[in-house]
Amino acid sequence: MSSSVIWYLKEFVRAEWLRKFFFAKTAPLETPAHFRGFPQTTENECTHCFACKMICPSPGAIDVLQEGDTWAPRIYLGHCIRCGLCVEACPEDVLTTGRLLEVQKIDQTSYVSAFHVMIDTVLCKRCGNCSVACPVNKEIDPYLAGTGTASSEEVIMRIIRGEMRVIHPEKCTGCKTCEESCPNHAIRVARVVQGVHGPKGPQGALGGGEAPVLEEGGEERS
Amino acid sequence: MSILQDLKNTVRSKSIHVCYVNVGSCNGCDIEILACLAPRYDIEQYGIYVHNNPREADVLLITGAFSPQWEDKLMGLWEKIPEPKVAVAIGNCPISGCVFNREGSYLDPPVRKHIPIAAEIPGCPPRPTEIIQTILTLAPVIFRDYEGGAS
Repeated sequence: MSSSVIWYLKEFVRAEWLRKFFFAKTAPLETPAHFRGFPQTTENECTHCFACKMICPSPGAIDVLQEGDTWAPRIYLGHCIRCGLCVEACPEDVLTTGRLLEVQKIDQTSYVSAFHVMIDTVLCKRCGNCSVACPVNKEIDPYLAGTGTASSEEVIMRIIRGEMRVIHPEKCTGCKTCEESCPNHAIRVARVVQGVHGPKGPQGALGGGEAPVLEEGGEERS
Repeated sequence: MSILQDLKNTVRSKSIHVCYVNVGSCNGCDIEILACLAPRYDIEQYGIYVHNNPREADVLLITGAFSPQWEDKLMGLWEKIPEPKVAVAIGNCPISGCVFNREGSYLDPPVRKHIPIAAEIPGCPPRPTEIIQTILTLAPVIFRDYEGGAS
């Protein structure tokens, strides 16, 4: 017993033990490189598609600004929550943070977005304003009548048998002109983003809702 | 500046007493402050001590986007802290309101409108590393040249 006490006393006067006891410090506070920080811009050129700005969950955290001839996203500290969604949503890989881009490449994940057009049949009074105001409809069928009736089947929405029907929602560009022209606020346009697994298409995150299905089909055939 | 005041300032910058207050945070930033106390970061090894009483503190850590209940209370709390004192806003909420600053919300960010803020740490939440580094770089600057008030 006494020998163990002596061992302890000897241990306590050892210079290294004393140094460790009085000057204990953890390792320097360094953030590992793989941690998700505030997104940084890469060498890639920004095409100002605003996919990053549309997916950002925090108000005022990201803006895509024009500087001379080039566009570049800018992150605002104090607003950005470092979720990394802008990095994942960008089709051109303009932004990067941590290992997010590498992981996305390995996992072959990406986002596709589509615009959904919904009409509340109770509020809708079948005036046809939305169908007439729609700039895409005007492009497809310039003879669209003031009542929203059209001879073309290719328009986004038109009056069919007295009911406003959405025929081709995938053509919607999300301009929301229809929402503004609706007197009853019956029509709503929503951007729906979907996470998809598979090789990234040429359109990337901007591709239509149909894009991933077509890509998968092509992969199976080849 | 007297030698005594000089000595006081040196001691103050080596032992920093902080007090934290949540003015409407989601608790995420408070958990990061809690992580600073835990053995991994262990802020006491840097001479930072946490109190729950503003009268014992020099540094006030503020989290949250300033809910209406704090209108009259935060200033009172700030005045209770003895000089020299400094306030640090932790996280996005005291800076901008972050995701809570929506239309129709009753929040009133930024907190620097209500009390003077010396430093702001962005992040949702900021890392414990960033919190500790901010306090460590700020405290000596604040306490170094303090002339001493009515004590």
